[in-house]
Amino acid sequence: MKPRFFLLLFTAFLAPVHAADEDYTPGPDAMPKEEVPKGEVRQHTWTSEIFPGTIRDYWVYVPAQYDKEKPAALLVCQDGGGFVRENGAFRAPTVLDNLIHAGDIPVTIGIFINPGVVPAAKEGQEPRKNRSFEYDTLSDQYARFLLEEIIPEVEKTYRLTDDPKDRVICGNSSGAICAFTVAWERPESFGKVISHIGSFTNIRGGHVYPALIRKTEPKPIRVFLQDGENDLDNLHGNWPIANEQMAAALKFAGYDYRFVMGTGKHSSRHGGAIFPDTLRWIWEDWKESVAAK
Amino acid sequence: MKHQCLSALISGSLLLAGIGKAQDMPLRQVLIEGENWEVAAEGFNFADGLSTDADGNLYFSDVKGGTAVYKVDLDGRMTEFIKDAPGISGLQWGSDGRLYACVAREQRVVVFDADGKETELVNEVRPNDLVVTHDGNLYFTMTPTSEIRRIDPSGKMSVVSEGVVTKPNGITLSRDQGTLAVSDHGGKFVWAFRIEEDGSLGCPGNYMEMRTPVADPEIARGDGMATDVHGRYYVTTAEGLQMFDPTGRMGGVIATPDPEEMLVSVCFAGPDHSYLYVANGGKIYRRKTKTRGALFFEEPKPAEAPPK
Repeated sequence: MKPRFFLLLFTAFLAPVHAADEDYTPGPDAMPKEEVPKGEVRQHTWTSEIFPGTIRDYWVYVPAQYDKEKPAALLVCQDGGGFVRENGAFRAPTVLDNLIHAGDIPVTIGIFINPGVVPAAKEGQEPRKNRSFEYDTLSDQYARFLLEEIIPEVEKTYRLTDDPKDRVICGNSSGAICAFTVAWERPESFGKVISHIGSFTNIRGGHVYPALIRKTEPKPIRVFLQDGENDLDNLHGNWPIANEQMAAALKFAGYDYRFVMGTGKHSSRHGGAIFPDTLRWIWEDWKESVAAK
Repeated sequence: MKHQCLSALISGSLLLAGIGKAQDMPLRQVLIEGENWEVAAEGFNFADGLSTDADGNLYFSDVKGGTAVYKVDLDGRMTEFIKDAPGISGLQWGSDGRLYACVAREQRVVVFDADGKETELVNEVRPNDLVVTHDGNLYFTMTPTSEIRRIDPSGKMSVVSEGVVTKPNGITLSRDQGTLAVSDHGGKFVWAFRIEEDGSLGCPGNYMEMRTPVADPEIARGDGMATDVHGRYYVTTAEGLQMFDPTGRMGGVIATPDPEEMLVSVCFAGPDHSYLYVANGGKIYRRKTKTRGALFFEEPKPAEAPPK
């Protein structure tokens, strides 16, 4: 009994210092509350022309407070299926319900998009997965896909603001570098980026961003970066070092940014646990921005 | 509607797979420590058209200097397999037990039966390299005209891609034979196409970006291609033998045996098809690997998960 008791004490002592990945869990802001009105989430399928032949699912979240007379703010999340999952790391619809109700963020429509696949032509064959091509490539192709295909489709039904300060783009891992690339290519369309465990590594050349940021006239983008000390170190690069480099470059170039380094792995858990606070920070200025209009 | 239902199913299953599950594939999954390139055959002008059969024998041509299709058996003995067959740039065995060939010099695509008897499939074409699916569709590249053509099992030829790949050169399939991959000798991408049910090509994508020479950043000189059982793609280039994972991410560049000579053709052959063979100038080199080649004359199979 004695050694086990000691072990218990020992791990209890270590826990706050070396939080394991599993210790990051969704907090109260990610739990449904009786008094908070629930938004609506609808699932759709899209066949793209910009990524020829690809199909994908996407979900549109519309808050209960949405008023068709007023353009809503926008949040676009890559790998969207994971963000809308009710028992997932993010539970984004519930978080948005709670934060909008509390007045912490503006009335926001969420678009949660999965990466594309080229479906197989015959039974027994596998679809061609287009995620890495869409997310890891440094080009404006994915930005054009959002701005020319998905967002206009959603705008057939809902009014969205065109003020980049009220348009956030977010993702995890390759979805995170994708989000950064969209804002980098189209800062007039997206002025805020949320990156969790961002793959600013050489999957398809994304390791060059810190160098580009340092030698490019700063763009009007507010950036939130999260990573974990135990994130990947593989053939593509070292994720914690790459995110440190991103943060240092953003600091050097004078960007409005925040960098949170935790102790997690290459998972959504830490980013999910702090997601409500991240949204509060990224929209810190929203009341001023509305008042100014 | 059927298509949409299918799509929802597919992306639903992708969602369950979650993020970060695409496996990383470094070179050490393929290369064996201490194993390097060794000469497998030499004395040629410009070796090309590397191909294998079910037993792992190697077949190839000497496109500039030779007059035969050569064979290297599992004991390393070389023979002239088909005599009087000069100027061949691409070879592959079909599931019908015949050997298909691009006769670049004579601007023909032909097929040899087991006795070496030649039958012409098409003429007045500019074939460079070819691949034959298990169900008997032959796709070949026409490098100078930016075309990919198909010869269907009845012998009818059609243009299946034109102007997409600048200088289409190497050509291979995914292991399940649903995707055709074509390297660009005049650009930096390996393009992926879906093979449609009718054998045409759809959904082109510049899926893999090859490493390029510093002095020539837009042109990788993509040439011969091969696929392994785990769905990885291999392509010979100016920078070496480049390996890509099934999702199109580069896994690494394997050094060219003799960097002074061009690296033009690659195939898996030898025992268990576990040796990489490359044509590199006047020599053919081989090296033992931890993987095995995909064989397109066999029934299509899904890519195997690599060992952890």
